[in-house]
Amino acid sequence: MNHHKIYEDLSLIAKRARKTLIVFFMLFIFLILYFWKIQVLDHKQYWEKSENNRIREVIIPPQRGLIRARNNTILARNIGSYKVSIIRENCEDFEDSLQNIAVLLNLEIEELRERIDKYRSLPLFRPIIIKDNLTLQEVSRIEARRLEMPELLLQSEPKREYPYGTFASHVLGYLQEISPTELQTEVYRQRRPGDLVGKTGIEKQYEDRLLGTEGELLEVVNSLGRVMGKVSEVKPIPGKTVWLTLDVELQQIAEEILEGREGAVIVMDPKSGGVLAWASFPNFDPNKFINRFTPEEWIDLRDNPNFPLQNRAIRGLYPPGSVFKLTMGLAALQSRTITERTSFFCSGVVQIYRQPRHCWYEPGHGRLTLVSAIKNSCNIFFYQTGRLMEIDTIAHYGKMLGLGVKTGIDIPGESEGLLPTREWKKTARKEPWYPGDTISVAIGQGPMIVTPLQVAVHTSVIANRGRMVDPYLVESRRNGLEGPVENRSPSSNNYVSIDPNHFEVVIEGSWMAVNDGGTAAAARVPGFDVCGKTGSTQTIGREAAERLAEQNIEVRKTHSWFTGFAPKENPRVVVTILIEYGGGGGETAAPLSKKLFERFKEIYVR
Amino acid sequence: MLDRTQIGNIDWVLIGLLILNSAIGVAVIYSSSQHLPGDYHLKQMFWIIVSLIALFVFLSIDYNSLVTYSFPFYLICLVILVGILFFGVFISGAKSWIRLPFFQIQPSEICKITVILLLAQVFSGFKKAYLTWGKAVFSGAVIGLPIVLVGLQPDLGTALSYVPIFLGVLILAGLNKKIVIVFLILAVLLGIAGWSFLFKDYQKDRLTTLVFPSKDPLGAGYQIMQSKIAVGSGGFLGKGYMKGSQSQLRFLPARHTDFIFSVIGEEFGFVGVVLVLLCYFLLILRLFQSVFKARDRTGVYIVFAVVMMLACQFLINVMMTIGLFPIAGIPLPFLSYGGSSLLTNYLAVSLVVNVRMRRFVNV
Repeated sequence: MNHHKIYEDLSLIAKRARKTLIVFFMLFIFLILYFWKIQVLDHKQYWEKSENNRIREVIIPPQRGLIRARNNTILARNIGSYKVSIIRENCEDFEDSLQNIAVLLNLEIEELRERIDKYRSLPLFRPIIIKDNLTLQEVSRIEARRLEMPELLLQSEPKREYPYGTFASHVLGYLQEISPTELQTEVYRQRRPGDLVGKTGIEKQYEDRLLGTEGELLEVVNSLGRVMGKVSEVKPIPGKTVWLTLDVELQQIAEEILEGREGAVIVMDPKSGGVLAWASFPNFDPNKFINRFTPEEWIDLRDNPNFPLQNRAIRGLYPPGSVFKLTMGLAALQSRTITERTSFFCSGVVQIYRQPRHCWYEPGHGRLTLVSAIKNSCNIFFYQTGRLMEIDTIAHYGKMLGLGVKTGIDIPGESEGLLPTREWKKTARKEPWYPGDTISVAIGQGPMIVTPLQVAVHTSVIANRGRMVDPYLVESRRNGLEGPVENRSPSSNNYVSIDPNHFEVVIEGSWMAVNDGGTAAAARVPGFDVCGKTGSTQTIGREAAERLAEQNIEVRKTHSWFTGFAPKENPRVVVTILIEYGGGGGETAAPLSKKLFERFKEIYVR
Repeated sequence: MLDRTQIGNIDWVLIGLLILNSAIGVAVIYSSSQHLPGDYHLKQMFWIIVSLIALFVFLSIDYNSLVTYSFPFYLICLVILVGILFFGVFISGAKSWIRLPFFQIQPSEICKITVILLLAQVFSGFKKAYLTWGKAVFSGAVIGLPIVLVGLQPDLGTALSYVPIFLGVLILAGLNKKIVIVFLILAVLLGIAGWSFLFKDYQKDRLTTLVFPSKDPLGAGYQIMQSKIAVGSGGFLGKGYMKGSQSQLRFLPARHTDFIFSVIGEEFGFVGVVLVLLCYFLLILRLFQSVFKARDRTGVYIVFAVVMMLACQFLINVMMTIGLFPIAGIPLPFLSYGGSSLLTNYLAVSLVVNVRMRRFVNV
């Protein structure tokens, strides 16, 4: 009885525990019986499978989707190629294997070892690719030694090919082997080491669509690695085609224009935002480095001081120069700083805040209004206008038109650029904004940088008399896509808050710049009513230039801009050109744009 | 702290069985990883020693004191599990690891100990004949939080290994039909939710493969097939230690961790399988005896929860290697390679020894 006072009565739960133990005991007995069945009764069947047959899982890579231009021209396709992998578990002796393979494939043994070491953590039965893009000679040499070297696995794979080499390379992008860090990320969860993935451009942006689904083949191989039969096969599903908005003919001219120069050309449809041509020079041949290994061409390109891999249309940042006068004109009109009839006198030089400021035209333009100031790209007019304006107002309208903000173009890596504000200078430079700073901004200089694509978009907004536009390379409807791209159609009806009449004033000025003997006269195409604005931006400050000149160091010329559209009424096409160190916009960029306007007229205007 | 009677009451038989099972593990790890770089058997031995020391250190604290402080421990574990979702390291597809200077640990394993202690506290004064709603819901929450957090990592296997602990507690407290039905419905709902939102494709693959093996002969089915071939080809006597078997097993990923029992089946045959099952059963039987020796309700709950955790993990893992359970990523306790799970299981056994050695009330 005493017992019960010290110890509580646990008999009920003990009984329950005992029942559970009995269940466990029965499960153990069941397991023993099951193992008896597998290991003793069915032994022969499994023994045969293990002895004679081995089942190997082979991944069949899908065909990557094609990339086509507007008129269906194929810009990226696939061709057959061979790759060879090592299956480490099949090596008799790993070191011997390495030796033999190095000789067979003409590889450095250390390179080979490094390659395999990179994928050390993979299970031993998983093939590691050791060489791709094999020559026919190499294929036959491997094939001939298949019995001696069961550790080698020869497989065909579709290889990406860009039939026109460097053509539109900055739009298409390129493929390279997935990096170990990329493999860790959620986006590439389904990918395997050794896979090739898009690294820039359309290849990267539309990776999911282009990729397709890999197939899997389970095959029975004997101990020599010879295929004895197929257990099952899931066929790969090829990736989907991506149609670009690019027009091959215009693209070709855009690239011819840039040949031998550095810069960018954008041709786009201002109504829809579809990009018709996109060139950035220097460019590169993406065929050269679709490779799992690091060929010398790749190192050359990557380390080239001219940055051929840099997509200048969205990553090149340049001061807009006189092109910005269009924005200044609109901002000044809308903010009621000036009217269409306000005039200023240009004598070639003016003192502002105790500093002489020069017009590019030394004799001076005389008295002029906004229209003729744009036509002649008069600096003094815009200095005077800028003096009356707040920097934040200028930035506000600039951003509204698309400068200094990302355009949302559907290829990765876009830079934002910068339109300076008081706030920006306070945080970035730890200085207040000086009135003199505004004067530089008024003619597109100062700490202001934009991308050529932004300039093209802002030109489209002006051409549309204020209707906003999102640029794109892949048209949603044709590609059966959904989402934000869907809005990028002529039906989008968002307008910037600037009076349409103000646009007419600025457009009149840019029409005269081309057609009435203004600075952009070289862009004139008879019968096509081109409107445009040139720009020549100083790449270094005046003081620095003088200092260099004193030391007899060649001063590099200015960047050369042209941006414009045609025709004046119901515009069809926008052309933006930037040539790095190309000299004056009127001398270099404007005549180049003429070729594009002419061609566009030939193709599209009846 | 400790007195001589208590030390005299340490269950040396149990500890002996524990070491025996661990030693079998080291031998098989050595065989199955001989072609892999990394000296897994040495690392495993190191962890066994560390875990043994931890086991004895842990014994010095009365389990009732551990239970008293179980709630704060539990909270700390939850905080770590939340933190790991943000700062953890990805290893084989799940964010379940904390990287320390020399090794990594998996907090989701260690957390099971605090769950066992907390549940024992919840039921220590529970004397009703059948489970009540209050207790059922509360203990469901105690176990549900870590399951969800671990499931989010997403480490389905480890999350699943919490369930037997809960099941054990419910069995002891007395299941009544209503509660069983409600929990089953909840589990199904959770399963559907998990299927739609939480599970990754590879986890779905594994489940569908079990139910419809012909649907996916690739992927998950491939592992089960290779494992069965390995076990079946072992025959009655096996192919011999470290002999000839490798060609099959090299097809099998995780053969020194989750699929270690396939290696045993292939190399030691049916005889080996029965012997290892026997060793294991003896271990579980010995653990079970402590259920009947415990002096109080808390002790019974602790011991039973530990037994459920270990026995179910063992059974699930073994069934997994012969295709009777989906490949859930649950290691074989004491035999599979892996420091965190080894340490956790040793600490769990330590709790059982603790209960048994303090079975006499000092009046």
